[in-house]
Amino acid sequence: MKLTTENKQLTRLAELMQSERDHLFQYACYRLGSATEADDVVQDLYLRLSKQGARLSEIEDLKGYIYRSLTNSCASALRSRRQFATTETLDTLSSDDLAPQDFEQEFRLIERLMALLPDEQSEVIRLRIYGGRQFDEIASICNIPLTTAKSRFRYGINKLREALEKRGLI
Amino acid sequence: MKTNNNLDNFSDIRVENLLTPRFAPATSLEFKAPAPRRHPIWQAVRIGAVAAIVAVAVVIGISSVQTSTAREVVERAMTQLLESDNCLVQFTANVAESKHTQDELYDLDFEGTPTQGTVEIRKEGPKVKMAIKWQDKVRSMELYDGESYRRYQNGQLVLERPHGGIDLSPLATIDKLKEYALLTGILLKFREEGDMILVSTRGDKVGIVARFSKSKGRLLGAECSGLYNGQQVTVLTIDQIDFDVPPTE
Repeated sequence: MKLTTENKQLTRLAELMQSERDHLFQYACYRLGSATEADDVVQDLYLRLSKQGARLSEIEDLKGYIYRSLTNSCASALRSRRQFATTETLDTLSSDDLAPQDFEQEFRLIERLMALLPDEQSEVIRLRIYGGRQFDEIASICNIPLTTAKSRFRYGINKLREALEKRGLI
Repeated sequence: MKTNNNLDNFSDIRVENLLTPRFAPATSLEFKAPAPRRHPIWQAVRIGAVAAIVAVAVVIGISSVQTSTAREVVERAMTQLLESDNCLVQFTANVAESKHTQDELYDLDFEGTPTQGTVEIRKEGPKVKMAIKWQDKVRSMELYDGESYRRYQNGQLVLERPHGGIDLSPLATIDKLKEYALLTGILLKFREEGDMILVSTRGDKVGIVARFSKSKGRLLGAECSGLYNGQQVTVLTIDQIDFDVPPTE
């Protein structure tokens, strides 16, 4: 009986991870700046969650739990690198930088923009744009009210717009 | 309750365009629920007496890696294995007679008898053959030739069964190896620490770690160990790996 419950939960987890795979991977990619590392983090997350077996049934919002675990895993991976916020600022940003030609340039641009924002705003933006989450999902993942999730996004985008406009970049 | 997920009223499309990914890398990760496991420890090294050794050989068997990254080292090692006509791995393992399958003589066992052996993988056209020679009391030898599994003891054939042979394709690229590892519940990690490249797997309770020196261009060691009765116990050690050696048969 226990084995049946466990198998059912592991199947549920695998199906959910598979259906969310691209968003999970993309979130990790644009958080870590490395496809290889993103692969490792997502794979590691799956294995860690798999080990919970039948206890997965106790998690009401498994999808939210997966994304919350992923944000924690990425933050942990960044801490272990001992390499924190980017030192590049918008002051040195050129119009060429606004038209990246590959993933690496794109990641650097996004990092520079995100560095302008408080963590709680950049996290909501990342979950929305790279994780492909709806605001009600983001609210659940971050454990905040829906209105707060939306306002953090709005304030973040506004702040970026003002910074870019001030420098004549948009 | 309905929620409003629309942002049109307060978003800025120019900023959002800048943040929208256009060069997002793709992943080939596949998530499939594992089959029920009755013996989680040995499932993790079900790659046991046979494929664990191959897998370790794959990730560490290389002769020169002066300026490579960990990933390059592993990729090159795989290429080398796949392109070599044969590969010889010498190992020592704690083993006990297999209770789970007739297609393997021994299982790795924390309380097993330390036994030396060699694994020889030989490619003949599209076929991959493998021989495991054990330095046990009856000089056991196991042969997988792509059609059958044969077991010899003291030179006499004692068991013959149909067998599909050894499939190296799951090890062809890092992505495939990762998929394979994922299916068997193993996490593969590639890490550099100074001069050292560490390739490790972590299953439920058993892990394989291979250490390689970049500057010396050689394998420093590889082992498979796990937690048993509260202590870390080594159950398999890779002693040597050689490529393109003449067939020993």
